[in-house]
Amino acid sequence: MMKEGVIITKISIKRQGERKHFQIKLPNDTKFIIGVEYGGRLISKSDAIKFAVAPIAAPTIEPTALGKEYPPLDAGTVEERPRGLFKRNQLVGELKLQSSEESNWFYSTDVFVADANLSYGDFSNAGFNVNDYTHGNKRTEEIVKVDAESTIIQGWYLDALGKTQKVDINYEVTIYVWINVEE
Amino acid sequence: MLKATKKRFDIKITQANSTVSDTFELDKNIVKVHGVLVTSDKDDLLYYRGTQKIEINKEEFFPDNYESKLLMSGINVAPKQRYYDLGGVAPGNGRVQIVYKDLDDGRTVFTAYRVSLYLDCEMEDEL
Repeated sequence: MMKEGVIITKISIKRQGERKHFQIKLPNDTKFIIGVEYGGRLISKSDAIKFAVAPIAAPTIEPTALGKEYPPLDAGTVEERPRGLFKRNQLVGELKLQSSEESNWFYSTDVFVADANLSYGDFSNAGFNVNDYTHGNKRTEEIVKVDAESTIIQGWYLDALGKTQKVDINYEVTIYVWINVEE
Repeated sequence: MLKATKKRFDIKITQANSTVSDTFELDKNIVKVHGVLVTSDKDDLLYYRGTQKIEINKEEFFPDNYESKLLMSGINVAPKQRYYDLGGVAPGNGRVQIVYKDLDDGRTVFTAYRVSLYLDCEMEDEL
């Protein structure tokens, strides 16, 4: 019978533009690599870090309080926002994984931590601050299907956060490799 | 007859960078655990600082250092889809263990908070 499991690997980044090669060891009874996801943690606090500050939705309608009049019907109309308001997400780094048995990367992604335009998904603008931890989607792994005969995954990570902000930022990237093991 | 039920277990995190472990017992008439979800009274602290291990019936479903944010769902997620799907686990001895670890993150300032573990279960109506 097949069972799912997850292998967690942490990479510590300390310098701007740092490049890391690493290995992920899988258990011997692993049959397949079935998914990959990632997370991260900021270790050093720096004024240069603005990427994680979630956008705040500016309230345009006063919350209706008891005894007050209801806002006019057109108060909730969504105004067209200038295109310049949209911000690009802060790229944190690039992550690539390769199985020792197979040629080429089987997983390659740009690592982002927060959605800088999350607040634009809430058209009500009712004053409820929009953050990743209140309005975020359910996170699921990215599905891959790779044979795990060699039980070693080669990994490569390149920092982009420190490089773009031109400062050494100490943070940790956590890589989750979901596997199928035979019971 | 089987019916769906949700169980909630709380732990308190009172110190920064601490590990809190607790074991809870499920009702005897629970036959399956379908899903798991974590929330907090201070969502940002749980989201940025939290990692946990979760075991059911001594079987590890999420290992040490599994980030809490991966088990959280925002209000944008439909209520029926908020739980992480475990696929109907037999509860065995009914013991659920959580080992929660709080770790400093540059984006938050620590204050005491509560972590709630929700389980989506299926129980027999009558024993």
